[in-house]
Amino acid sequence: MDSTTKRKKSPPAPDIGRETRLELYRLQLELRYCEKRAYDLFLQNLVKGTSHLSLGQEAIAAAFGVVMRPDDWTFCTYRGHAHTLARGASMAGVLGELMGRQCGLLGGKGGSMHLTDVKKGAMGSYAIIGAHLPVAAGAAWSAQYRGTGQVAVCFFGDGTTNIGAFHEALNFSAVWKLPVVFVCENNLYMEYTPISAVTAVEHPAADRAASYGLPSILVDGNDADEVYKVASEAMSKARAGGGPSLIEAMTYRHSGHSRADPAKYRPDGELEKWLQRDPVVLYRERLLKLGFNEPTLKDMEAAAMGKVDEATATAKASPLPSIDDIEKNVWADGSAAWRN
Amino acid sequence: MDVIMPQLGETVTEGVVTRWYKKVGDAVKADETLFDVETDKVSTEIPAPASGVIAEILVQEGVTAKVGVRLAVIRESGAARTSAVIQSGSVAAAAPAAPHTPRVMPADAGERLSPVVRRMLAEHQLSPADIRGTGRDGRITRDDVAGFIVQRGAQGQGEVRTQTRVPYTVGTETRKPLNSVRKRTGEYMLKSWTTAPHVLQAVEADFYRVEQARQAVGAQWKAREGFTLTYLPFVACAVSAALARFPLLNASLDRDDLIVHQRINLGIAVDLNFDGLVVPVVKNAAAKSLPQLARDINDLAQRARSNKLKPDDMTEGTYTLSNSGVFGTLITASIINPPQVAILSIDGVHKKPVVIEGPQGDTIAIRPVGVLAQTFDHRAVDGAYSAAFLREVKTLLESRDWVRALNA
Amino acid sequence: MAELTYRDAVAAGIAQEMARDDRVVFLGEDVAAAGGVFKATVGLLEKFGPKRVRDCPISEQAILGAAMGAAMTGLRPIAEIMFSDFLAVCWDIVANEIAKTRYMTNGQITLPLVIRTANGAGSRFGAQHSQAVENWAMAVPGLKVVAPAFPADVKGLLAAAVRDPDPVLFFEQKSLYSMKGEVPDGEYVDELGKAKVLRWGKDCTIVALAAMVHRALDAASILEKEHGISATVIDVRSLVPLDTQTILSEVVKTGRLVTVEENPRLCGWGAEIASIVADECFWDLDGPIIRITTPHVPLPSADLLEDNAIPSVERIVRELREKID
Repeated sequence: MDSTTKRKKSPPAPDIGRETRLELYRLQLELRYCEKRAYDLFLQNLVKGTSHLSLGQEAIAAAFGVVMRPDDWTFCTYRGHAHTLARGASMAGVLGELMGRQCGLLGGKGGSMHLTDVKKGAMGSYAIIGAHLPVAAGAAWSAQYRGTGQVAVCFFGDGTTNIGAFHEALNFSAVWKLPVVFVCENNLYMEYTPISAVTAVEHPAADRAASYGLPSILVDGNDADEVYKVASEAMSKARAGGGPSLIEAMTYRHSGHSRADPAKYRPDGELEKWLQRDPVVLYRERLLKLGFNEPTLKDMEAAAMGKVDEATATAKASPLPSIDDIEKNVWADGSAAWRN
Repeated sequence: MDVIMPQLGETVTEGVVTRWYKKVGDAVKADETLFDVETDKVSTEIPAPASGVIAEILVQEGVTAKVGVRLAVIRESGAARTSAVIQSGSVAAAAPAAPHTPRVMPADAGERLSPVVRRMLAEHQLSPADIRGTGRDGRITRDDVAGFIVQRGAQGQGEVRTQTRVPYTVGTETRKPLNSVRKRTGEYMLKSWTTAPHVLQAVEADFYRVEQARQAVGAQWKAREGFTLTYLPFVACAVSAALARFPLLNASLDRDDLIVHQRINLGIAVDLNFDGLVVPVVKNAAAKSLPQLARDINDLAQRARSNKLKPDDMTEGTYTLSNSGVFGTLITASIINPPQVAILSIDGVHKKPVVIEGPQGDTIAIRPVGVLAQTFDHRAVDGAYSAAFLREVKTLLESRDWVRALNA
Repeated sequence: MAELTYRDAVAAGIAQEMARDDRVVFLGEDVAAAGGVFKATVGLLEKFGPKRVRDCPISEQAILGAAMGAAMTGLRPIAEIMFSDFLAVCWDIVANEIAKTRYMTNGQITLPLVIRTANGAGSRFGAQHSQAVENWAMAVPGLKVVAPAFPADVKGLLAAAVRDPDPVLFFEQKSLYSMKGEVPDGEYVDELGKAKVLRWGKDCTIVALAAMVHRALDAASILEKEHGISATVIDVRSLVPLDTQTILSEVVKTGRLVTVEENPRLCGWGAEIASIVADECFWDLDGPIIRITTPHVPLPSADLLEDNAIPSVERIVRELREKID
């Protein structure tokens, strides 16, 4: 199956303003460079544990990052560096957390798979497949109950569509007409196994939308403009009380599932073909076609790299967490006490 | 800074250094490719972790190294930079073990003795052979040891106590560790004070008739019985008669139930020469004559002070009397002895001018007067009930023919 | 004081908190229009309306996930899981998400929510509707665990759970739903983490929870009257936080610890209390610690089998007569 051939190619949308386009490019650059730096730091043994990179999938997180209101909520998975950064979380906080430093977003308590920055609306990265879909629905319920107009956006992978929580959350959200947008990033592989080998329908999310009375929405996840348009519609619908949306964005991860995975299971030529459709490269070409000049883009690229370098230096210079932190913050009073 | 073999996957434990891009003495920049590693999963270029000069290469090309092994050393440019951040080993340093003071065990630890029995034997330097066990299969129980200690007397106990926990001086203060009797008394009193709503009520009683009886019979009594006749047995006698009419004060609280006792067993608080307090019990006081009560109270007090009480002497109390009168106190607000619901304090009896109402009008007389103060648990009874009881005690004390009672 | 059933005390506790704080919302299966399968939430829909009292699909993960998402964004939800056995189908949300999120986010997110659930045996429902699973919850850091034995405690502890800033698992004993007891009128809030001494004795200290509290009390009164053994009885009420001070101070007085647990033997909460007592007042113990539990089996259904599996008054009396001297 080659789902890329099934996607409808639409011309660059004229209704996206120039400032928005630059913002989309800037975010994609930062996400790309930061993920690459995370990989380098891992090879230098400065990042411990595991990490799941979104290299090649940046357009989706970037587009939603631009569309969302500051008080909207993001819920993402263990592959959540990009989604968290796209909400404006501190890059040094992200890299510091990966490196287990005091400056990390979670002070070293959570690690790569649990990045959270509540002040920026990044309501957590969840490492159990499917778990955060009902949680996002709950946040949406809270917005609906209080009438705040806030929307919860929930990102997940294609593999998630085969777990029970996905179906429970979709039905629940549809029945309660909750302001939540579910975004399936279909990168063709659950972990190592092709999603097509384990799923009864061709499009694991879009083909199931009808089960919950929702329209089937399929979008080119490597085209930031396309995602931007779909995201804008879904967010407006949710904010207006129209209920949830389920979006399937086709994309591809350039790296393996996690740091342990050299991704040898991919057929020859597949990665190369997708590298031709690298969202960052595509977007640069589009910007040039639309009349942005080379020096502007070069400046943006240098600025993004500078930001990553600065964040790296800050994170490297940060002290390690205190051992005293182990028994802190289990409870709201800051303690871990379970007895008197 | 050390260059170490990175972990190139969760399940990877080692890798082969296939190529070094630098040799010893070469300058290297951070993030510049330094060497290649091959594992069963991946072959990859590894960037340098820091800028500087290669000082040492410890693992040569073609050699397999475990994850975490030092492969090379980079002498970093800028000597003052700390590399402390990489020393994660320091995190694992174990906290020093808490100082542990083992308790001394008796020599004969082979017997099946419970922990508390072993501790008590050790603290009091006793041998299990000296103590008769009353538990299952003759096991020595905690109560057996406690009873033995009470019987044996205070002397040895005091000595051992000071051996285990010695008073010590810090600056101008001396710290005297509480002994276990003190601590247990404290626990009971605290529990009583914090769980039972205490109410104090007092009446003044005229001990004229009591005093008359003591004057009439006292010397003869002392000669016959060998001890002085005090006010206490008279009060005990009046109290047990009054309790029979006010049974809700001769009771124990058990959760939502008030257990009303048939037998009146009077606890008598006895001071152990300022070193603790015990409350031996006069059993079935209502069935005893005044002389018998006087003898029982005297016997219990004597044995308490010489540490000759038996465990049975201390149990089954239903109401308590506390006597501070010997010190001339005015009034004492006692703490209830749980699960009992009331306690009566007898304070000093003093001569006072008293108005006597008579058929010929009021006159003033000099009478021995003392305060009787009862503390009761308001969960068990209310103030009116307690007051009526006190009035009954007062009336009995003031109206009974005590000379006759003494000759009973 | 009014006499209420245990089930009415549930509704009274929820109603008290919903009336006080409009951030309190209530969701679950069959809880609104039907008033709950145990009729413990009758009248709440009528009182507070469908916006605050909501029926849910049979989707336990969605129910607890929604409660969690609502709690982290400003509401104080009460979620019902119909039978505690069903916690197993949403245990990821309970144990991985709700319990850990505050710690993993280094305190960025707090989750003031209550999960109410009907727990325990006595209704001949068989192995998938009768378990006492409070010890599952106790094993997970980040969850508070409460199990009341009396109607007054249901109301007071439920109110305390709703007001607590952390997630609380509130285990209601289904065999006690019809039990009556005095419940304070008006606003009534108890305190989490406080055990209650219900009876003082001198020979042993019995520690029990929920339905087992009543059996321990009955056993203690038989032991005293017929066998001359006097027992202190403690209702633990809250497993996390655990009131170890009350337990330890009472055990020191009697020298013996007995736990009576409805959960199966291995890793029951009594094992933890036994461990703490052995650790911290070993030298005050006058005999082995006694654990009376359901055997390590799934619960059988037939009344004869169920009654003989969970600790009975007779069994408590028998075991203590044999073991306490």
